[in-house]
Amino acid sequence: MATRRDIQDIIGLPGGGDTPAPKKRAKTAGPQKKLHGVNREVAALYGERPPPVAVYEEKKTYRAKRANLGPVRPWIQQPFTNPARTDGLVLKHWRRKPTARPNIENGGDTAMEDADNQSPQLETDYEYARFNVDVSVPSYTDEEYEAHLRSNEWSREETDYLLELAKDFYLRWPVIHDRYEFQSAKAEPADDAASAGDSILENPTDALSTLPYNSSLPRDPRSIEDLKARYYFVWETTLKLHRPPEAMESSEFELLEVLHSYNPDSEHVRKRIALALMSRPLDEVKEEEFLLAELQRINIAANRLDAERAELRERLEAPTPQRDLGPAGPLGNFQSSQALTALFQQLFQQDRSKKRASGSGRLSLSAGDIIGTPTAAQQAAYNAAAGSRKASMAHPPPPQPQLRALSAAEERRYGVSNHDRLTSGVSFGSDKLVKMRQAKSGVQTQKIAAVLAQLGFGDIITIPTARVGAAFEGLVAKVGKLLDLRKVREKEENEVKVLDGMRAKRAGEDPAATGSAPPQHGRDSTETQERDMKQEERDESLMEQSIADSTVGAETTYAEDGEGGDDAEGEEDDAEGEEDADGETNATSTRQVSEAVSTRAATTPAASVKAGHKRSASVLSAGSTRSRASTKRARK
Amino acid sequence: MNPSSATAPNTNEYAGDEISAIVLDPGYSSTRAGFAGEDIPKSVIPSYYGIAPTASGSSQYLFGENSIHNPLPNLEIKNPWSSDGIVEDWDTATKLWEYAITSRLTGQRPTDPTKNGLNDGTNGEGNGQMDVDMDGLDDAEKPLAESPLLMTEPGLSSAKAREKYIEIAMEDWGTPAFYLGKTGVLAAFASGKASGIVIDIGASTTTVTPIVDGLVLKKGVQKSPLAGNYMSNQLRLIFAQSQPPVPLTPHFMVASKSPVDAGAPAQAIYKKFEVPPTASFRRFEEERVLTEFKESVVETWTGPNRLSVPGTEESLKNAPGRPFEMPDGYNQLFSAERFKVAEGLFDASSALHDPDNPRPKDEQTIPRMVQAAIHHIDVDLRPIILGNVIITGGASLTYRIMDRINAELSQMFPAPRIRLIAPGNTIERKYAAWIGGSILASLGSFHQLWISKKEYEEHGPSIIDKRIK
Repeated sequence: MATRRDIQDIIGLPGGGDTPAPKKRAKTAGPQKKLHGVNREVAALYGERPPPVAVYEEKKTYRAKRANLGPVRPWIQQPFTNPARTDGLVLKHWRRKPTARPNIENGGDTAMEDADNQSPQLETDYEYARFNVDVSVPSYTDEEYEAHLRSNEWSREETDYLLELAKDFYLRWPVIHDRYEFQSAKAEPADDAASAGDSILENPTDALSTLPYNSSLPRDPRSIEDLKARYYFVWETTLKLHRPPEAMESSEFELLEVLHSYNPDSEHVRKRIALALMSRPLDEVKEEEFLLAELQRINIAANRLDAERAELRERLEAPTPQRDLGPAGPLGNFQSSQALTALFQQLFQQDRSKKRASGSGRLSLSAGDIIGTPTAAQQAAYNAAAGSRKASMAHPPPPQPQLRALSAAEERRYGVSNHDRLTSGVSFGSDKLVKMRQAKSGVQTQKIAAVLAQLGFGDIITIPTARVGAAFEGLVAKVGKLLDLRKVREKEENEVKVLDGMRAKRAGEDPAATGSAPPQHGRDSTETQERDMKQEERDESLMEQSIADSTVGAETTYAEDGEGGDDAEGEEDDAEGEEDADGETNATSTRQVSEAVSTRAATTPAASVKAGHKRSASVLSAGSTRSRASTKRARK
Repeated sequence: MNPSSATAPNTNEYAGDEISAIVLDPGYSSTRAGFAGEDIPKSVIPSYYGIAPTASGSSQYLFGENSIHNPLPNLEIKNPWSSDGIVEDWDTATKLWEYAITSRLTGQRPTDPTKNGLNDGTNGEGNGQMDVDMDGLDDAEKPLAESPLLMTEPGLSSAKAREKYIEIAMEDWGTPAFYLGKTGVLAAFASGKASGIVIDIGASTTTVTPIVDGLVLKKGVQKSPLAGNYMSNQLRLIFAQSQPPVPLTPHFMVASKSPVDAGAPAQAIYKKFEVPPTASFRRFEEERVLTEFKESVVETWTGPNRLSVPGTEESLKNAPGRPFEMPDGYNQLFSAERFKVAEGLFDASSALHDPDNPRPKDEQTIPRMVQAAIHHIDVDLRPIILGNVIITGGASLTYRIMDRINAELSQMFPAPRIRLIAPGNTIERKYAAWIGGSILASLGSFHQLWISKKEYEEHGPSIIDKRIK
């Protein structure tokens, strides 16, 4: 190709071929670079300097490149059939034309034309056909119906009709009930027969078809509960016919249970209540909201009080009083797994309501409150009511699988351990041990440290296994109790001293004045105080007893608990030996009380408490003996 | 690509699959038609039609907004619907609906794509593709041979009417597949609800339809004539009873007008007609003025106490009114009157009445209809239903009617939470049933529900009751 320079050469012009290009370049690289996207006037304000903010030219910077997707792919109206249909209806939708043969280069235009004129292939696997789901309704043969499903209230035709509707409306019971218009002269129940017969006479059947949809057909007497009950009964029966309950899988059996537990009467009652709830006047609704708010407030206060009390009780760790309750006492209530589940639910619920109390409470009625399922209570009621039907079942439900309780030995053997919920991440056993030494107040922490030092524990426990940790925890708990006891004791000694002083004073004055019954009088004045003291002492003795119990528990035999009690009594005597010096009038009564309590505690199988003691004691026997020794020392 | 509010969702996400079906939603006031998958109907024509005698003695039908407002001599304006919202004149209705479809959507006579010359290639002589079988040709002559048709029906249509629908679609229009949806259900679909109660305040009727999981609870469907046309009649009564009476002159009679003071008689030059327009034409044109009045002046009374309580109306007299000017220049401020128009929908006792317009029954008012509908619903479902009160229909655009419905329902059902759902968009409110049909007919999972031509030929028109319950 001839360039400009060539032409210049040919014409004979002076060869200035190099000059124009640098000029151009200089022009474009000049300082007056025009800014795009900025007003001319605004740009003039900048002067010579570059703009203070970098101005990006949007057009150049951010325009996305047009994706090159290859040659144009045409769309076609693709005919398709839907496998969910039985009639082979062919519909058309727009689809990309399937890519033609690969050798387009060779075929050229003629090949394209061929492809265009060919009618598109029929598409037969329709992707949305998978949404064609059907409900399966129970089916039965004539013999099965005669043998198992006959009913006085339901004819075979009506049952068939019900099943058909259930299938048509996908078990949507409100709709089934709405469309339920079974017409059979002989199937009409007696109470409705008269009115139904009349209207049928008035409207011959051929006229019925021309009536509008919701023509005033005889009001069907079947409630939605009746329909459900019949359907569930049929379902349950056919399920059992096809496979005996013993051979069923758990899911099937659960279904059977659910079906069996449906009780139309209780549903009726429930709906009546729900209706009453819904049709309250406005002021009642307002009142309820107000009361709910009030209840919430009370609950919050009660929960707080409970929490405080529980904390106090925990601190003192008095065994729960178990008067006049035998093995079926408070704990006996919770021996079955069901009861335990209920207890857990209750606790969980409390916990949740406590949490919710801080947030906003829900006051209004919502759908979830009204729609319910048959509950266990309803099931029980239904079982009682439909006893005859149950008897005819003759298939007792299989026993519930029992949870096996492991003994301590087995637990050790299988390496089973129970612990609190673990937090995420790594935690060290030694951290736990350190934490145990800490008390709420610094003074208390120091005291605990002092006692531990006295017992000969170093700051670091070398191998903090789980068992060591548990043992240490028990020890620290006992140390805490010991410190509490010391405090109480000091307080009471002081009080007794004061009272003694008062009595001595009065003894010096009184005999002259009354002379008749000085001790009685003195007793009156100090009665309340003494009662308090008795209470305290009893608590004290219980504490000691439990400590002693754990000591003896090292041998971990049930029978030895009695000995433990004795041991505790012995110790009691020791303790009271000191008390004797204080008040001779109440010493004997105190002893009686404490003896009574300790023996009772020893003989009653307080399973959980004892188990805890045993476990800790088995490891801790040496330690706790020492701690007992230290207790005594401290007292003396 | 990142999904955002600006980009349309992928069709796979909502099972969308368009088969160029046509959705036809006939109503008393207007007839809507359009392609499924679009968001508004392309073709909206008035359901009123004109019938004028021609020179040859036969009568000519006039359809569409552009042709029926022309004051031709002896032009009668009619409506194929009866005043209680049921099709009366099936033949004309068929023509009207066909016009709605063919005028904008399919064209008069769709030709086969192989023959219309657009697809002729370079070797245009054709290579054997032209021999179309004659059966196909028969159908191809019919207006809907290419498109499945989804039609809407009122909640209370009779079995006979349903059979008529499918007969028209299959026999007259030759549609390959047909489906009939209830207006209530489709309106609920348009709001994205499968359960709820639909209050459809239309032109001729107000319908209350309870819906559970996309199925109508037939026993609960309520219908009443207290709707848009009733409000127009109330307005006529108000104009006639006021002192002095308010003249009602339609646009077509006025040639020019000059401004006058409020309440003063109009000064206008009227057109002269050789053959005076018929009464039905005049009435139809008056309705247009009344519609304008309803749109701009009428307001629903929302309290604090009822309008019928003595003293309330008097206090309104002093309130500033709202001006309205008639086509002939007559203008007036309307204060208390504008609240009385819609009051009859809620309080039958305060409805104006005369021998021609009897007082409505108490159970025809909207609150009572909702109450009756709810009564038929299972107790368990009532909170759900009342949480989805869907309001549609052209007359529901009356100013502040939602507040009134909400107040009435809350008073009637204090315990459960009541939530009204009404699209704010005027078009969506007026054409809710069409939009629902458009959504439904463009779903891939819906295509198994069509009644095909083959099924129709096997079972006859009665298949509609078997297939669509």
